[in-house]
Amino acid sequence: MADIKVKGGKYKPAYPGQTIVAENRRKYLDPNYELRKLRSISDEDVVRLLGHRVPGEAYKSVHPPLEELGEPPCPIRELVEPTPGAKAGDRIRYIQFTDSVYFAPLAPYVRSWMAFWRYRGVDPGTLSGRAPLEMRERDLELVAKELLETEVFDPARVGVRGATVHGHSLRLDENGLMFDALRRYVFDKEKGEVVYVKDQVGVPLETPVRVGKPLPEEELKKLTTIYRVDGISTRDDPELLNWVKRIHLLRTYAGFKLNKAENM
Amino acid sequence: MADKKLFIDALKKKFKEEPTDKYTKFYIYDGWKQSARKREFVEWAQKIAKERGIPAYNPEMHLGGIPVGQRVLMPYKISGTDVYCEGDDLHYINNAAMQQAWDDIRRTVIVGLDAPHALLEKRLGKEVTPETINEYLEVLNHALPGGAVVQEHMVEIHPALVADSYVKVFTGNDELADQIDKRFLIDINKQFPPEQAEALKKAIGKSLYQVTKVPIIVGRAADGGTISRWSAMQISMAMISSYKLMAGEAAIAEFAFAAKHAEVIQMATLTPWRRARGPNEPGGLPFGYLADIVQTNRKYPDDPVKVALETLAIGSVIFDQLWFGIYMSGGVGFTQYATAVYTDDILDDFCYYIADYVKKKFGGFAKAPRTMDTILDVATEATLYGLEQYERFPALMETHFGGSQRASVLAAASGVGAAIATGDAQAGVNGWYLSMILHKEHMGRLGFYGYDAQDQMGASNSFSYRSDEGLPLELRGPNYPNYAMNVGHTGEYAGIVAAAHAACKHAWCVNPIVKVAFADPSLKFDWTEPRKMIAKGALREFMPDGERDAVIPPH
Repeated sequence: MADIKVKGGKYKPAYPGQTIVAENRRKYLDPNYELRKLRSISDEDVVRLLGHRVPGEAYKSVHPPLEELGEPPCPIRELVEPTPGAKAGDRIRYIQFTDSVYFAPLAPYVRSWMAFWRYRGVDPGTLSGRAPLEMRERDLELVAKELLETEVFDPARVGVRGATVHGHSLRLDENGLMFDALRRYVFDKEKGEVVYVKDQVGVPLETPVRVGKPLPEEELKKLTTIYRVDGISTRDDPELLNWVKRIHLLRTYAGFKLNKAENM
Repeated sequence: MADKKLFIDALKKKFKEEPTDKYTKFYIYDGWKQSARKREFVEWAQKIAKERGIPAYNPEMHLGGIPVGQRVLMPYKISGTDVYCEGDDLHYINNAAMQQAWDDIRRTVIVGLDAPHALLEKRLGKEVTPETINEYLEVLNHALPGGAVVQEHMVEIHPALVADSYVKVFTGNDELADQIDKRFLIDINKQFPPEQAEALKKAIGKSLYQVTKVPIIVGRAADGGTISRWSAMQISMAMISSYKLMAGEAAIAEFAFAAKHAEVIQMATLTPWRRARGPNEPGGLPFGYLADIVQTNRKYPDDPVKVALETLAIGSVIFDQLWFGIYMSGGVGFTQYATAVYTDDILDDFCYYIADYVKKKFGGFAKAPRTMDTILDVATEATLYGLEQYERFPALMETHFGGSQRASVLAAASGVGAAIATGDAQAGVNGWYLSMILHKEHMGRLGFYGYDAQDQMGASNSFSYRSDEGLPLELRGPNYPNYAMNVGHTGEYAGIVAAAHAACKHAWCVNPIVKVAFADPSLKFDWTEPRKMIAKGALREFMPDGERDAVIPPH
């Protein structure tokens, strides 16, 4: 995992805002901050959930190991140490998350910013209802495990969904779970846990994967990076509001009256 | 207005729970069978499959046997009407009124008569009088739909197939207008409120323009690029016949040039080759032209919000559903984006809220200082108000279940707000872009990949007019580089243009000639009330122009 993580050094995220939501955004973007582990999911279960290979199966490769490949001289190649998956020639595979608007820990933009700041060799995507993350396969498995085991995942308000992601903005079901048309997960009332019975693209799992108990809403409100009127509203964070307005003014003037933008 | 929460009635009809409830039940609605429209589709598809021996529509094919309808398949209220329908009824292909709206635009070219008349009088020594003009118009009403006028032994077109084709004229000269046969006249004095009529007549002056409605079936058989050609051919022939001209002398080439080029106003410009379409196709239709084509401002001159909402609605149909959804993309996905701005009274609520805010703060419409401070103030308030409604009413959030829908609606309210506050469309579009980045930081999400890109850079070109750097919003269209794949934006931009000019009580936005050309009571699509027309289409009560019954077996 150390080969995949960004070394933060003295970097501190400069994201503005004086509320806990802004603080959480800064925290998750900070590669020096260790995400708090809340649950354990075995390596095999992560592989099952991803559905790209069966546990124990060798990684498929799309090119020979870099050592054998004989790369041409290149200053960028000398500067950037390849990740383990890149060295081995792994395929690029994905994990995709759906984050509920109801106080999920992350939202798509924060997820992408976080991926860029914390991990190497990532290709995140940012949409409203889903956030794909693509990496070399063995690197992906390590990152997926961290994303599933720590405070940035909640079994009820975050879904692992390769396709048919509809649900981020829907009301919650009677158990507080986010809607999933494919019903990849069920709620085990006895144990109070969420259990995945299908992998991320909806293929039934022979061995279900337990991802733990949903967090109480009050706890989610402490972890979330989403502003909401029934939580922390943007109106309560003038620093953030003013920062957005300043960016807007700078962009506007830069395209119209550049000298005005330069003096702001 | 905002205290009423205009969207509540629709939310109560859509969901059985209270709009403020955060919890519901899923997976119990019997999938597609909960929808009368889907049941109808299945019934038809089974019949079709049996007749043709090839499988057809089958909702059980969805997701390997998990059909749509795992949640409530909610109905939609057409905003500003009492009509509820199913989402399927709002797909362009399923809605005859939407098709009529576009057919009405594509089949239109406006051709000035000043140059041909000058040619007739000065070069050919012919007399042009109101009587000769009336005679020419009668000939052209025979020729334009496909009647022969000069040559012997010609084939012609069955009138029943082209009953929608005709020509009318208008002028700013009351004296001339009085002498034109009323069957051929778009009467500015009759169609517009007095102040608007005066402004339009002053702008148009003594010129005489003919609005040619080429047969719909011609546009469908070829494309918008043929409309001016068809019109020019029949205009030239009608001229030759009416004024007894020699067919083929050099002067006729000048008629043809005037009719094809010099005096022609196309509704839309051609698009570059990677999106290649001829003129009079939706990709080249400027926002300001669409705002002029919509006629709501002559019926509701004191309600700029309604003017904006009606323009937005049909703009979303033509730009999002038809241009991006069918011409550029294909398939069925784009309807969901587009309908958000004209269903369930949601954007209506947001816009009337911000209109009240503007009135209270600035003492009326188009009265606020045209400054960045006004834009920051109005667009921020519109965005935060709208976000708060989505968060206070989970049923509202579920209605606009896609981030692109919410982003479009909030930015539209912000743009309309800034536009009606300042009376300036550029201020409106700048407010749009502020809304987008504010929304993004608030929710941590916005639209899909391609949706967001242009909204990060849009502020920088919102006041730029120089070539390759910008354009007044009135003259931008889906063909503007930054808007070339811009679903959920362009219809709204047309609405922002309309809002700014309606706030100033302008009689038109860009082109008075286009405005008058669509003030034509003979059109089946009532351009003063686009949303009512869409609703009629959804209810299958809209009878469109254009059909083939006369040349196919009885059915």
